[in-house]
Order: sequence, then structure tokens, then C-alpha cells
Amino acid sequence: MTALQAFHDSQRPLTSIFQVKITVQLLGQARQLSPTERVILNVEEGASVDELVPHLLTGAPDSLHLILSERSNEAQQLRRSVMAIRNNETIEPSARDLLRDGDEVSLLPPMSGG
Amino acid sequence: MELTDRDRAIYEWQIWVNGLGDSGQKKLKNSTALVTRVGGLGGPLAQSLAAAGLGKLILAHGGNTKHSDLNRQILQTHDQLGKPRIESCRRRLVELNPQIEIETCGENVTEENVGGLVSGADLVFDCAPLFEERLLLNRECVRQQKPLVDAAMFEMEGQLTTIIPGRTPCLACLYPEIPPGWKREFPVIGAVSATMANLAALEGLKLLAGFGELLTNTLLIFDARSMDFRKIAIQHRPDCPVCGSCRPPSIQEPS
Repeated sequence: MTALQAFHDSQRPLTSIFQVKITVQLLGQARQLSPTERVILNVEEGASVDELVPHLLTGAPDSLHLILSERSNEAQQLRRSVMAIRNNETIEPSARDLLRDGDEVSLLPPMSGG
Repeated sequence: MELTDRDRAIYEWQIWVNGLGDSGQKKLKNSTALVTRVGGLGGPLAQSLAAAGLGKLILAHGGNTKHSDLNRQILQTHDQLGKPRIESCRRRLVELNPQIEIETCGENVTEENVGGLVSGADLVFDCAPLFEERLLLNRECVRQQKPLVDAAMFEMEGQLTTIIPGRTPCLACLYPEIPPGWKREFPVIGAVSATMANLAALEGLKLLAGFGELLTNTLLIFDARSMDFRKIAIQHRPDCPVCGSCRPPSIQEPS
């Protein structure tokens, strides 16, 4: 178990009665900057991808924050240029009630290498 | 231009490909493609297009050959170190296929040259390492209604999509901003960039010759660590400032 995953496991939110388990896969630059390719998050049922971001980035290096997140009205959310993918389709990061227990969400920051 | 006996001798084995045939080969012969930056992606891509008998290539690539180019920029050679990259690109491609026409520009894409470069091509391949260049080329392709094959990679991953203005999302739909944290120098094994290059070349050859299915409205993601290929459905961004005005009526937002 990686340090980042261990940290997440110790920080599971306890505020919601119903929680779902979402696996977040990091791609591209985010994958290189993270100690782990996949992070399992236990979040409140109905949470949006944007709402996963603070959980995902707790304890993460600043470089990962910069690539994956931005602030809007003081809330941390997924950066607009990062693609959120579930079941081989892109999904709107702000949309709630899309994620189901056991889903895997891939986060793809843009790449431009040539 | 019609195919000659010599054309048929050279391209015989690919003319056997179902869907390509004589008519597809003739379309390739009468087509022009622009490849911007002819490095780790654009180099092998241009090589595959030249070998396949595309009629004309327009190549845009600035700078001089450096040692650090040589692990992936397969059109560059050691004897070319310190000399303009574009000269080596031309020389190597002419050696490969002296029948095709090659027009070179020793600059990368800029606001000043992008209009002229795109206007001369039937199809554009975007292989630049900087988002500023990619988004500039995307904007111009949308403006001139030219198809754009966009290939990119990072470390052991690559991605590819084919953009047809009015029918697919454009690059600005996917990346509405220049992302922070992208560095000009990035980890790359030449085999990864060449893999994406050849997939991009295939997209272009299919598009120009008129066979097969294209990666339209689809982003192909390749993971070289696991050898996984994923096809992701992609959508127009409703507020896209680049292609919003050229979307077909069926997918226009209600007014």
C-alpha cells in the first residue's frame, strides 16, 4: 500500500450514512506525479467528480494540485482542461448522482508531447 | 493525376488492402498533408505518409538538430547535429520516396504563418510539443474547415483523435485552456511517439483514401505499460469559443 493510499484510508469521511467506493485512475502527467496510479476513495453517495478532488488531493504534492485542480468560489474542483472519464465516456465533473459504487473514474490531463 | 505503372509497382502491396485499391491510391497521390513539427511524432508520421505515396507533404519544423533529438526524431541524423532540422527531414524523405513533392518551412507554426500553411493542405497533422501551437493550429483548421489529426503523447501514454470541423469536437472543446505545469521537455521513448505517429498516419491515410472508420468524436488512449487501448467518446463543449459557430444544426444548443 502506498503512502498516499494509506493516508486516504485513514481519512475516510464519516459524515454520510451512505457511502460509495470509487476508484480514481490517474493518467498522463498526473500519473507520473502521484505515488500511485489508482486511489480508492470512499465518498458520499451522489458525489460529483469535482467533489472527489479534495479527497483525492489531500496530502498530494503541489505539482499534482496544480495539474488537477482549480478553485471556484473557494471550492476546489477539477481543472477545466482535465478530462473525467467513466466507462469510456467523458462525464461532466460537476454533475452529481452519476457515480455508482464500484465505478472507476480516469482523470486525464492534456498531453502535448511530440 | 492518374496512377502510373511505376506507381502501381511501388504501391502494389498496399493497393491489395481492402478498401484502398487503385482508387484510394490515386486519392493519396492527389492529396497534400501538412505536418507541423517533424520530431518524435511528426518524423515517423511523415515517413509513413511518404512511403504510402502521398502526393505532397508540407513540413513545418524550426530549430537545429540536438543530441537530445536523436532518441526519437528518426529523420534526424548524427551528421546533421547543429544544422537545421528541416533540411534533414527533407533529405531523408526524398531518399525514401523521390516521387513525392516536399515543401518545407523552417519555422514552427506561428500566428503569421499558420494561415498559409493550412490553406495549402487537404489534411493537417498536429504534432507540436506546445499547447500554444496546437490550439493555434486547431483554431485555423476550424476557420478553414480543414480536417485535423491530433496525436500527442507523454511518457508511456499516447492519445489520438480526428477532428472534422462541424462534425466533431475540436481541440479547444477538449482543452479549453492551456494547462499549467506542462513542460517543453517531457519523458519520451521513441517507440511510444512512433507508435502514436503511425496510428495518426493510418487515420490520415484512411481519411484521404476514403476507407475504414475514423476516430471522429472519439479519443484513443494508448497505455504502453499495459498495452491497453481505450476508445473514449468525446463531446462538443457547449461554450467552445473556437468551434461553437460551425457545429451542425442537429447538435446546436437550443436558443
